[in-house]
Amino acid sequence: MRKTVFWWVERGLLLLISTIVLFPIAWMFLTAFKRPRDAYSLSLDFSPTLSNFVTVFSDPWNLGDMVLNSVIVASVTVLIAVPCAALAAYSFSRFRVRGRKFLFFLILSTQFIPAVVIVLPFFLMFRSLGLLDTRLALIVVNLAIVTPFVIWMIKGFIDAIPTDSEEAAMIDGASRLRVIKDIVLPMAAPGILTSSIFCFILTWNEFLFALILTRRDAVTLPVGLVSFRTERGDLWELMSAAGVMITVPIFIMALLIQKHFTRGMTAGAVK
Amino acid sequence: MAEVQLVDVEKRYGSFLAVPKQSLTIEEGEFLVLLGPSGCGKTTTMRMIAGLEDITAGDLMIAGERANDKPPKDRDIAMVFQNYGLYPHMTVAENIGYPLKLRGMDRKTREARVQETAEKVELQALLKRRPSELSGGQRQRVALARAIVRTPKIFLMDEPLSNLDAKLRVTMRAELKHLHHELGVTTVYVTHDQMEAMTLASRVAIMREGRIVQLDTPKKIYSEPADLFVAGFIGSPSMNLVEGRITGGRFEAPGVSLPVAGADRGDVVLGIRPEDLQLTDPGAAPISGKLYALELTGDSTLVTLRNGRTSVCTRGPADFEAPIDAPCTLAPKPGARIHLFDKQTGQRLDA
Repeated sequence: MRKTVFWWVERGLLLLISTIVLFPIAWMFLTAFKRPRDAYSLSLDFSPTLSNFVTVFSDPWNLGDMVLNSVIVASVTVLIAVPCAALAAYSFSRFRVRGRKFLFFLILSTQFIPAVVIVLPFFLMFRSLGLLDTRLALIVVNLAIVTPFVIWMIKGFIDAIPTDSEEAAMIDGASRLRVIKDIVLPMAAPGILTSSIFCFILTWNEFLFALILTRRDAVTLPVGLVSFRTERGDLWELMSAAGVMITVPIFIMALLIQKHFTRGMTAGAVK
Repeated sequence: MAEVQLVDVEKRYGSFLAVPKQSLTIEEGEFLVLLGPSGCGKTTTMRMIAGLEDITAGDLMIAGERANDKPPKDRDIAMVFQNYGLYPHMTVAENIGYPLKLRGMDRKTREARVQETAEKVELQALLKRRPSELSGGQRQRVALARAIVRTPKIFLMDEPLSNLDAKLRVTMRAELKHLHHELGVTTVYVTHDQMEAMTLASRVAIMREGRIVQLDTPKKIYSEPADLFVAGFIGSPSMNLVEGRITGGRFEAPGVSLPVAGADRGDVVLGIRPEDLQLTDPGAAPISGKLYALELTGDSTLVTLRNGRTSVCTRGPADFEAPIDAPCTLAPKPGARIHLFDKQTGQRLDA
């Protein structure tokens, strides 16, 4: 096949964009395996070490506690947000209720409010409740941020499911809840899984609220990164090692999403 | 088995009147076909019976019980959807067995029933497959099997054959007819295909703009269409409709002069089916014109002739040949049925 000019332009642009996006990440991965003295050098010729990872997990950094905080906060948020959002999304998708569009807009509009605007009220609220520096506070805040987004996302997936199968199930003798359990959830499963992972990633990466609302006990990974800026300067190699710890789970999840994204569970339902 | 009654049932979407107030009784064991062009309200009517659509006003009675507010699952109905509505994540066997599972039937009995039903529609070999691995005709049979796996009070079928190719449609039509004979369950069947309606129905309800314009046996609908709409809708090729006037006991139109019963009047439409006409020798033929088109259908040739505004079609012998524009004459066969309609109202004029 003869390669056209367009083919070259296309590949060139793709390569350029990939480089711009991937370069900092690649650099972070490299730095994570460098010794402190190599951290500032641009040379690719260095002897790799795992000592940075050992350091960040031991005193005084104790990255392990932050990993645990992040895992708990993100998991619990997903476990609460996704089931609620799935039911809400189903209702928005299927029930023709008066004011439905406005309600949906209202829920989405919470996403238009910049986080900085509400972080202070949240701080004051949690202080009064005595919940500062707790995982519970982070979970509550993350739920508020993530749920509308997940509702919107899952609704898209449910909208795409033809109603025929649902109606068939209702006529076959299923109640509405049974239809959701037997028909809708299995058919929407890839979408719900994708949304769950998205929700996890959002929560996992959340920085601003975690920074303001935590101090010592409930600190999450992104906030933990900041602690590597010390009076001795920025400890880039440690920061990179911690950065790797943050990104690797997300990479794995992104790969999982991709696999499920292309599966097309609804094939064969109709026609 | 049950009788279904719609009493002054009406359906509105906001201010849009989809199905105006009307009544209809579907007798026990009957095969009733709702026939009409798309958007005529036939599917809406069926969905109201199914409980998938709320009834705005009036009463729906199933087996003598008011069913307006019953959810679909409590109406004891089975339905075949136009797009089949299969469960893509379940195997064929699970699809067919789902209605039984919902009724709490134990696994053993269920599997036996699924097997039995699958044999009826020749799906035994495919029970472990998923819907996405089946052809259109096979999917259609799964949908049918799911409907007949238990014996409901009513069968509802919403254009179940419209996604199949022409050949398969004819085979499945015969199977449906046989199945109805075997099970004897009250069936409501929606279609826009007049051929399906004629072949399957005990009675046909022809709908137009939400209203039932004629409800009768296929034979009656064919031989005595209630109005111009029904006359033009039923039959293939469709009935010849010629506008003209009655004077002195004859219907007159360009190229047409036929003795008819009826008082003198203008604005009359005469209807005569192509199969009630035959080609005759020129002379004092009642219908004359120039040959417009010849269409060979295999066993016969459709001959269309024109004269001014008049266009008339008939079935001629398969070997009939003549040049286009050649003069051509037709006469009604002995015993032919001639229909007269009021041009303004479209209503049948009975002699």
